[in-house]
Amino acid sequence: MNRLLPRLAIATIVASLLLSNPGAAQVLPPAKKAERVRITKAPELELATDHLIIIRWTTNNPGGSDVHYGIVHYGTDPQDLSETAKNPIRLNQGHPRTTFRVRMEGLKPRTTYYYRVTSEESNGKSDGVKSAVKKFTTPGPGERMVPKSD
Amino acid sequence: MRRGRWILGAATCAMVLAVLIGFHAGSAQDGKGKKPPAAPTVYNPYPSGILPADLESEIERVRREVNFIFQQALADWRALPPPNLTGQPPKLQGSGYDMVQTLGKLMNFDENISVFKNQACASCHMPYAGFSGPIPSVNLTMVAFPGSFHFRAGKRTAQRYTYSPWFPVLQFNETQALFFGGNFWDSRATGYLLQNPDAEQAQGPPVDTQEMGSPDTACIAFKLSQAEYRPLFEQVWGKGALDIKFPHDTEKICGTPGGAAVFGTDTTPVKLSPGDRTKANRVYDNWAQSLDAFEKSKEVSPFTSKFDAVLKSLVSLTPDEMAGYNLFRGKANCNSCHTDGRGTTLTPGQTDNSNVAVFNPLFTCFGSANEGLPLNPRNAFYYQTTPDFFGFTANPFGFAYRDLGMGTFLRSGFGSWPNPNAEWIPLAPTADGTFQVATARNVAMTPTCPPGSPPGCVACPTTEAPGPYFQKGFFHNGYIKSLKQLVHFYNTRDLFAFPVTSGHCPPGTIEKVNCWPTPEVPNNLDCTTGNLGLTDREENQIVTFLQTLTDGFTKPYPNRDTFTGRCMTGGSASTQGNEFLIPTPPLPPCAAAICGVPPFPNPPTFCPVTPRPVTAKR
Repeated sequence: MNRLLPRLAIATIVASLLLSNPGAAQVLPPAKKAERVRITKAPELELATDHLIIIRWTTNNPGGSDVHYGIVHYGTDPQDLSETAKNPIRLNQGHPRTTFRVRMEGLKPRTTYYYRVTSEESNGKSDGVKSAVKKFTTPGPGERMVPKSD
Repeated sequence: MRRGRWILGAATCAMVLAVLIGFHAGSAQDGKGKKPPAAPTVYNPYPSGILPADLESEIERVRREVNFIFQQALADWRALPPPNLTGQPPKLQGSGYDMVQTLGKLMNFDENISVFKNQACASCHMPYAGFSGPIPSVNLTMVAFPGSFHFRAGKRTAQRYTYSPWFPVLQFNETQALFFGGNFWDSRATGYLLQNPDAEQAQGPPVDTQEMGSPDTACIAFKLSQAEYRPLFEQVWGKGALDIKFPHDTEKICGTPGGAAVFGTDTTPVKLSPGDRTKANRVYDNWAQSLDAFEKSKEVSPFTSKFDAVLKSLVSLTPDEMAGYNLFRGKANCNSCHTDGRGTTLTPGQTDNSNVAVFNPLFTCFGSANEGLPLNPRNAFYYQTTPDFFGFTANPFGFAYRDLGMGTFLRSGFGSWPNPNAEWIPLAPTADGTFQVATARNVAMTPTCPPGSPPGCVACPTTEAPGPYFQKGFFHNGYIKSLKQLVHFYNTRDLFAFPVTSGHCPPGTIEKVNCWPTPEVPNNLDCTTGNLGLTDREENQIVTFLQTLTDGFTKPYPNRDTFTGRCMTGGSASTQGNEFLIPTPPLPPCAAAICGVPPFPNPPTFCPVTPRPVTAKR
């Protein structure tokens, strides 16, 4: 059985190769845009140090442009999330889910920040999804925490 | 007293240098020097330990290897059938491919093209390294290869030739809002004119001040007109193509490296008639197209890897290779950029029934990304801050230089080329810190010695310690020294992020193992990577899979057996090269000539990172 699976895989590869277009050096077309993008795993702290906070969350695959931006709007006042951090991630068209990660640097130590996440295509078009407002507190100088993932 | 003596000595040297420069400048200009030309003084602004101890012997070793293959190419040429130019439009029936590819091969291994006739394209791009850097100690230390004028050096690793001809002309895809294509790490060889980025790439090194060093593109036409294989050039590109009336001082001008003070800002010091200049430009285009033909040939890009054999159902991947492949396109998500032409399997053992986009997957999306490499203080570029014998200073900014990659190119900035598309200038801040996504093919290629190899052949079966291994330098700045480190970096860059520069990881941590220094350029940092959640074993399986992408499995890879140097042994792939880490000096802010050019990077300047103690706890 163990041997059968790779053989099946290879046979399928060959069959699909024979049926495919032999074009090369072509940029893949964008994936079909999802009808609705929704957060399937809520934002959480991935890493918290005195110089770097990383927030991650997961959505269904939003489709559209291959590069998306994860965006965090944040601030020390929950009514004023005027600061922004954003990082690009590259979708994998074959994956059903997409994990966004955003790095935030230059935060004050031992300070509580409020934030909300969203995402957009590389041309700035919003995915139309945003989280509830959440919060975290930065560690003290020299401290470093790697929260355990679920 | 000792200081006084030093000043006196330095002043004397400066006077001698000034006299030499003045003399040489005059001779290059008028060709009527009354004294014999002075031998240029070697340029060595490097602190002790930056240049590898075996550099000169290794340069000579590569020269012997290059000349061996050049002689082979001459024999290839002589074995070609007589040309049969026929038809309308006229074509070289039957032998056209062989002729232009052989011409490109001859050019690639011809040392005479360089300013001091001591460096071929291949000197930094040898077959046994997948046509990347052939000197292990350079890959380990100074990263950039020394040029024709010793020891000027560039600023990035020598990119592999393999499959570079497949990159499309640089375009901004408005639907994706992304750049695709081009050649070079910063995509500056757009291909806009020849409609071929690989060919336009080949037009860079011959006139790069820190590489082959010619001061004028016409020098390449001049040297081709004197080449032994000139008849082949004229058979391919037309009789009379090299009939150019060069001025009497061409030899001297073409023997003076680009950037020399004598030339000022003149980029065409070889004074040709307008008609001959047009001809010389045409020759330089033909040079580029011939090299592209070689790089596209089965001698360079043959699709003969084990992965190709699997696609043809000739062999199966081993369980570890298959596991690595499934991670590559699944959990590790490598194929979101290094596209394999296939879908994905997220569940171990899942049957792959996805469609294939291409027959010959190239393992690159042709895009660019900032993976957040730390600044590599061993890069020779940082130390070239003083004028050389010819009055040229490669990097007046020292450690205030920041490599913004494609962002600097889009601004037509320092150390790059003019951006030929003004529409792209506003996009520069979105490209800061990004570098071309290299094909994963041949990332693991090393020298082999199959039966019948030339005398002295040395085989280094892997890139990974304990080896015996062939030391490579990975990414644009060579900070990463093994594939294990490369995968571990993608896997843990953010997990083990510390606010330090290289050489300053806190006590209790090991750089590249559980401490990654801060990125040189924080802008546009790709967060697809950084915390992939791979286990140590899974990292190793991905490395094993990458090794299946090395050409030469279904048939021998030409000239992979020409390495005559030494392999390295011992140690661990995780810490490979760590004994050569040096502390990054305090970094001044990014130079205004780089970060102060509009449209400004965002964040606008990159502040120095001050090393400070950090306590690690989980």
